[in-house]
Amino acid sequence: MKPLNYAILKHFTKVKEACADDVIEALKKDYGHFKALKKPAVIEAIMTGEANGLLEETRYDLDQKGELRVYYRAHEEGAATINNYIPD
Amino acid sequence: MDNSLSSANATAVAAKKQLSSNFFKKGVTVAILSGMFYGLYTAFMTLGMANGVWADWYGVNNAALSAFVITYMLGALGSALNDTLSALWCIGIAAFKGKLGDYFRTLKTKPGRVMIFAALLGGPIASTAYVVALQMAGSIVIPITALCPAIGAIMARILFKQKLTPRMLLGIAICFSAALMIGSTSMSADAPPNLLLGICIAFICAFGWGLEGCIAGYGTSMIDYEIGITIRQSTSGLSNLLILVPIMAMLAGNVGLAPSLVVQAVTSGPAIIWFVVSGFFAVFAYSLWYKGNSMCGAALGMACNGAYSFWGPFFCWLVLGVFAGMEGWALPPIAWVAAIVMALGILIIAMNPLDLFRRKEA
Repeated sequence: MKPLNYAILKHFTKVKEACADDVIEALKKDYGHFKALKKPAVIEAIMTGEANGLLEETRYDLDQKGELRVYYRAHEEGAATINNYIPD
Repeated sequence: MDNSLSSANATAVAAKKQLSSNFFKKGVTVAILSGMFYGLYTAFMTLGMANGVWADWYGVNNAALSAFVITYMLGALGSALNDTLSALWCIGIAAFKGKLGDYFRTLKTKPGRVMIFAALLGGPIASTAYVVALQMAGSIVIPITALCPAIGAIMARILFKQKLTPRMLLGIAICFSAALMIGSTSMSADAPPNLLLGICIAFICAFGWGLEGCIAGYGTSMIDYEIGITIRQSTSGLSNLLILVPIMAMLAGNVGLAPSLVVQAVTSGPAIIWFVVSGFFAVFAYSLWYKGNSMCGAALGMACNGAYSFWGPFFCWLVLGVFAGMEGWALPPIAWVAAIVMALGILIIAMNPLDLFRRKEA
């Protein structure tokens, strides 16, 4: 099992793009009991990844509840860095 | 239909702007707070090292400690106690937040090892240099150690091929001129005999922390900052306590001195209570530094944190001078001026006002 933050970043190397809700949904099975698997904390982890050039924003819209939903992806260099530091 | 779509779009755009702006503001706030906590931890650690058994060691010296032990080993011991107690606070906080499992998992990974390496640079090397310099030359060394963003920028250029622009070079020049202003006070007649050496040792500290900030910044983009700080403080505390203090005891010619001084310091109630306080503040000084660096970029994060060139002397004066009634914690006016100039220089090195503008536009 990987630390939660690693699993969040790693998720982006496996999908085309994802928003915070997608990440939470995907990690719920293994990390559902983690106190830190909450939307604000996950958004902060993703945005920190973005600030450090690991992830980039792809698009954003409003979900059915009218909440902002931002999608991110790991570009080639970001994915390579993530995979180098966090192997499978 | 088109109207409702464009209104939804406008809401999404506004919400996105708000999200980016909140993230940026939080990063800056966190980085500024880190500098304030830095000043607080400095003041309380110095207070701890002025009370209980430390008052004898640094004062009358009934324990008959050698000059080497007093100057170097006690500095390492103070740093070791502060970081070890800080690590205990970190472990408690991580446990409370359910992050202890991730702490042990992170230790075994590559980013975890990078963090340990950064902790060794910032801990045994830089923190000890900081305490020794503080003991030798007083809080005047604090603005010098605030040169670490400048050194961080240079090391980032060498190690990670990061940009070093004319603006940054200008900032570095301003910082060094401010350091020279501080150095000039050592030429006055009433300067403490160890002032110049203390200032030189403070530069070692600035180098260690500059390198730590530049390397740990890379690590914290992947590691949760609360786990990062737990790794930092436990590595630093234990390596100081179990390696550095015994090595210094060996150099002093008496290995047995290490456990003896540790036990005396830990059991000295009037001193250890202040180390418990300083260790608590150190948790936030370093964790918010890492978090600020990872949220708004190491450059801006380190500039905001660099405001400890004000907070250090400010809290030393408040806690040691005003609260504890100790003399000699007021700084000469030129040091205050130099601290302001240095803070400006740090800001120019680390922050391009255009970046701020671009962030807001995004």
